[in-house]
Amino acid sequence: MMEKVNLDGAVVNRIRFKLNGREKNLDVASHENLVDLLVRLDHFSARESCGQGLCGCCTVLVDEIPVSACLTLAQLVDGSEVKTAEGLAPPGELDFVQRAFIEEGAFQCGFCTPGFVMMTHALLKETVDPSETEIREYLAGNLCRCAAYPEIIRAVKTAARNRPERTEKP
Amino acid sequence: MRGFEIVRPTTIERAIELLESGDPGVRPFSGGTAIMQMMKTGMFVPERLVSLAGLSKEHSAISVDGEGGMKIGAMATLSTLERNDLVQTCFPVLARTMKRLANVRVRNVATVGGALSHGDPHMDLPPVLAALDAIAILRGPSGSREVPVADLYTGYYETVLEPGELVAEVVIPPSDGASAIYRKTTSRTADDWPMVGVAASLRLSGSRISSARVIVSAATAKLQRITAAEDVLTGQGPSREVFADAARVASAHSDVIDDAHGSSVYKSALVEIEVRRGLRDAFEGETAE
Ligand SMILES: Cc1cc2nc3c(=O)[nH]c(=O)nc-3n(C[C@H](O)[C@H](O)[C@H](O)COP(=O)(O)OP(=O)(O)OC[C@H]3O[C@@H](n4cnc5c(N)ncnc54)[C@H](O)[C@@H]3O)c2cc1C
Ligand code: FES
Ligand code: FES
Repeated sequence: MMEKVNLDGAVVNRIRFKLNGREKNLDVASHENLVDLLVRLDHFSARESCGQGLCGCCTVLVDEIPVSACLTLAQLVDGSEVKTAEGLAPPGELDFVQRAFIEEGAFQCGFCTPGFVMMTHALLKETVDPSETEIREYLAGNLCRCAAYPEIIRAVKTAARNRPERTEKP
Repeated sequence: MRGFEIVRPTTIERAIELLESGDPGVRPFSGGTAIMQMMKTGMFVPERLVSLAGLSKEHSAISVDGEGGMKIGAMATLSTLERNDLVQTCFPVLARTMKRLANVRVRNVATVGGALSHGDPHMDLPPVLAALDAIAILRGPSGSREVPVADLYTGYYETVLEPGELVAEVVIPPSDGASAIYRKTTSRTADDWPMVGVAASLRLSGSRISSARVIVSAATAKLQRITAAEDVLTGQGPSREVFADAARVASAHSDVIDDAHGSSVYKSALVEIEVRRGLRDAFEGETAE
């Protein structure tokens, strides 16, 4: 089979995956990581900061599991479902975790926030009412340069209280 | 070169064929957490990555036999080790060790096979498995062989793995009443890479120690099983003095090196302290963590 080459001269492969519920079907170069790919698709919430899996700024959910997009080869998300902060609520709206972060003032510059928000979603899916220790342990791999940590922990607790399945059901 | 090949075989036999060339640019890719760093820094320039993510579920399964021996597929993730009920019941030290290894996202994708094959002495899993007398089942072009985890490493980032050879599975013999611990000392944050890693296991028969394992890692260029310290312990009744003697011997026999985490003098002193505390923890049965 002839190899296909992109406009930069890099060999590409076609992948299909779901991004925030939408089918994507496009050519991806072997060296692209998942942050590169998301940026190419105009999704900017996952940012590459450390590039080493340490800081969590690039956190996305792949098949509902939080991963560092900076350490994920884009071609390997073929067949998966990728979720980013852009997909949490319809345009112009915010979901309960995002609202909790605003309510508690859990950021200054906001650079780390999408990563913390995605991690919070994953944590609350695994643990209904996480204790302070559980929150700290789960988020230990996310760094906030503005050191909004106390507010972030409060935001996670607020989000846990306000989760829709809790407030909607009697 | 513009790009490399990424292949996703669905059987281990096919993976081995795709790796067989022995070309340094051809490597297995499991969770990718270590190999991505090597690619980003240019330490490894790939020609072909053989992703093991497409292998069937049996390669990530964890099971226990009637005697309490455990089998762990190489593709089991570190998160699975952390949460698996069988692991928590039979070898709780493994689950506890995961809690302070990297972070949730890394553990979600990093695999047992990758953690064993990478060869970085600053890894937490190999010393623990070595203290449990675990055996790595390797599969390669010339068949399958068994290597104790304690003997997997030949030097700094060097392993006994031949080109095309994979870690396929890890087998842990029944604990048979032994109590095992791991103590991780970090110099920066709690979840940092270890500066000193000490794993130990003690089995008592009546009031005597019938068998002991003492493993030192991170402070050394490769994981080291310190049989001289084990000999000090075996046959003795557990006591502060015996543990202190064994710890002195362990430190004296560890080939401690300087690195960014600390000087060799400092780390040698810590090895002694950590082995002493580790033996106490193993004897008392619960760890501080
Ligand atoms: C931010 C961060 C922090 C970390 N902190 C720690 C820590 O505190 N303690 C610790 O122990 N580790 C730590 N790690 C390292 C982590 O444990 C390893 O990166 C991980 O275990 C490697 O597994 P993997 O499946 O991702 O391997 P990969 O990256 O896929 O592969 C690693 C190496 O092993 C080879 N390989 C992979 N699978 C196999 C196989 N089945 N058979 C043969 N060869 C194989 C690959 O070719 C490659 O050379 C950290 C990593 C990161 C990113
Ligand atoms: S950029 Fe991926 S974890 Fe820091
Ligand atoms: S709000 Fe600035 S980095 Fe966290």
